[in-house]
Amino acid sequence: MATKSSLLKVILLGDGGVGKSSLMNRYVTNKFDTHLFHTIGVEFLNKDLEVDGHMVTMQIWDTAGQERFRSLRTPFYRGSDCCLLTFSVDDSQSFHNLGNWKKEFIYYADVKEPETFPFVVLGNKLDVTERQVSSEEAQQWCQENGNYSYYETSAKDATNVAVAFEEAVKRVLAMEERSEHLMPTDTVNLHRKPRSGAACC
Amino acid sequence: MKEHFLWALSCSVDIPDVSVCALLDQLISLFCFYNGPVRQSYLRHNRSDLARHWARYLTHLQGGSSELHHIFSCLRTIDSTNIDPLLLLKAALILQACQRCPLVLAGCILYRGRVVSTQMPPDLTVKVMVHETESYQQQDPRPVANGMNGVSGTPSSSTGATPVFLTPAELQALRCHPVDKKCRSHCAPQPPPRPRKSRLLSRTLSDTPPDELDIVNLDPAPTPSSCRSSLSDESCYSACLSSEATTPQLSPVHQSEISCPADAKSYDHGLSNGISACKLKEEVVMGKVANGCNKKMDIRTSQSETEARDAFILPNGNGCHANGHHLDQPGATDCLSDQSSCDEQSDSSCRRSLSNGAETPRKAVLPENGEMKRTKTSIGTGHVGDSEMPTHTKNGCRNGTEGLEERETKENGTGRRQDEREESSSPSSSSEEEALVPMALYQHRVRALVLALLVEPHFHTDQAAVEEVYHSSMASLNGLEAHLRTSTPGGPGPHGPYTFAHYDCIQNTLTSNLSGAPQERSFVRATALLHSNFSQTQTLQEAIVRNAGAAVYATRSTAQETYFLQHATAVRNSGIPNHQDSAFSLPSKARHRLLKHGVNLL
Repeated sequence: MATKSSLLKVILLGDGGVGKSSLMNRYVTNKFDTHLFHTIGVEFLNKDLEVDGHMVTMQIWDTAGQERFRSLRTPFYRGSDCCLLTFSVDDSQSFHNLGNWKKEFIYYADVKEPETFPFVVLGNKLDVTERQVSSEEAQQWCQENGNYSYYETSAKDATNVAVAFEEAVKRVLAMEERSEHLMPTDTVNLHRKPRSGAACC
Repeated sequence: MKEHFLWALSCSVDIPDVSVCALLDQLISLFCFYNGPVRQSYLRHNRSDLARHWARYLTHLQGGSSELHHIFSCLRTIDSTNIDPLLLLKAALILQACQRCPLVLAGCILYRGRVVSTQMPPDLTVKVMVHETESYQQQDPRPVANGMNGVSGTPSSSTGATPVFLTPAELQALRCHPVDKKCRSHCAPQPPPRPRKSRLLSRTLSDTPPDELDIVNLDPAPTPSSCRSSLSDESCYSACLSSEATTPQLSPVHQSEISCPADAKSYDHGLSNGISACKLKEEVVMGKVANGCNKKMDIRTSQSETEARDAFILPNGNGCHANGHHLDQPGATDCLSDQSSCDEQSDSSCRRSLSNGAETPRKAVLPENGEMKRTKTSIGTGHVGDSEMPTHTKNGCRNGTEGLEERETKENGTGRRQDEREESSSPSSSSEEEALVPMALYQHRVRALVLALLVEPHFHTDQAAVEEVYHSSMASLNGLEAHLRTSTPGGPGPHGPYTFAHYDCIQNTLTSNLSGAPQERSFVRATALLHSNFSQTQTLQEAIVRNAGAAVYATRSTAQETYFLQHATAVRNSGIPNHQDSAFSLPSKARHRLLKHGVNLL
């Protein structure tokens, strides 16, 4: 597995202003900036971490939540190993849009098996006192949509942020292990044998 | 002849004189940007090394771009026709975010050797690009993602810094953005009124040449507060930055505002002095450099003095710390420009005098300064006027000259100390040396994308500042690089039955539909000829040059020059003026054809 560590692509999706960029920055740089501008298109940061003995480089892709940036962000969905669906607990609309985000992701990322794809749901802005989305509500949605992990986070005071990202990694690793077990044998080795002699034409 | 040196540059006959002169100027300023004053460089370095530098700069200026680019000496910009404008906005926002760090003056973002976004004037951008190109060649494209893991702030392998030298005029231009006011005002709500104000009051702004104002500002009593620790400096800088952030071309106002608050928070303590000073200085500068700025200057005058100080300080940054007592003019210590507190005062007095009078007054003043600072002065003073002049002339501001003088005086004053320090300034150097202000060029590369920032020379020693800039730009740079890499180059736009070249004199950029085909050669030659004529004859607005088979129409305004050749028209050319001559239809054709290229000749 050591060689497998490689790169995991994790993408943050959700309405504009729910705190995707802040979550990423909090996790990777441990900083919180109240004056972030709208993300334009996509951005990403890498983070090395060790999960269950695996060294992993997580590449966290932060996306623009606004509709007008859609054409800029969607090309970068492909290749994602995990999707973090994010909403803000003080914004019920952002919660109701989770389904749309999931659909958009599955469509543009061209996910082959949406049922098993690892999604993690984040309810951000836990620090805000006036909630519009209850924890139960969110839990229920996660249950009904595929038993996703749900974390309530606060990028502002760093609550649950690391845990949530690590959960994403665990989900991905679990997926990979499962798939390894499923199709261990019937594979074709595409690696060429090293040619010993001079190459012919 | 320039700066006591005789310059010679050989070239083919085809190239118009104006282009050669522009190239030579560019070459010299490029050299000075990376090496400091010419004379000083030759005293310090091996001639063969410098010869290599010259060759490299020349190659850079000539390399890669088309002949048309050489004719106009213009910037190579990214082909924006195939790029989502939002990405250009993104680039501009990245630059603004960086300016939240007070040690950052301005920056530009380059992709594959082309400008994506810049906050700097074109001539400065060109200089910065040289380093970008070199570092790109030296450095293999790094592996994909930049690991910025845990290690905060530690710049990844893709970051680096190199010392550079700015002319006072360039520095002023970078610090004099009108937008700044707002930000600064926000950021540094309490710019402490300084004693200096009184001086300002005595004078009429209109009377005082811009340089003077700056000088005055500088002179004023040293602001003790500003000098102290790095923190205090930062605060000052932050103020400046905010103003810069507002900057010029690219940055949307709102951003600047955004950035300001952040700065204010972080730097509150320091701000009071520093901020005001910075602003003031900038304001002053504005007046000098920018055209319409004068009014603003008046408003700000009271502050101007303080700002001026900041400005001086900035270059040195560290210097303040070194001399505790000097606090007033913190900057002095590090840089050549720095002066000790005493020096400052004396300088200020000198400057004042200088500002009013041209060179003569200055000399008279100098003695005062000379006493304290003299090491540099002796040499420097004599030359100063001359050497400095050229730099200013480029900018075209009288202010610039004055400013230079001021700087010189300062430098002289500080000279002794600095000599000790040595790094920045060589005391013996002539005025030109003194005029140049040491700064640093910070560069952060993500594959083919480069963020280049002009920063205070002590930026790299300020871990907090480095981290701030690094973290504020890292993710966005990664994203921008991904966007640019995946955006399809797109074919060469519509290739109509015509050839055109459109030169934007303000941004120093060129748009054309040339494909590089040999048959375009005559168009290029005609363009060179017309451009030369435009340069020599200020009143010339439209012209047509023709041979038996083709006619090139050219028109220009203060902001642009446009050249147009219509293909495949039956040329009716009787050899004498004739209203049926096809050449006379060129202007209207150019107007219509070029509209779709975004060129408006109406």
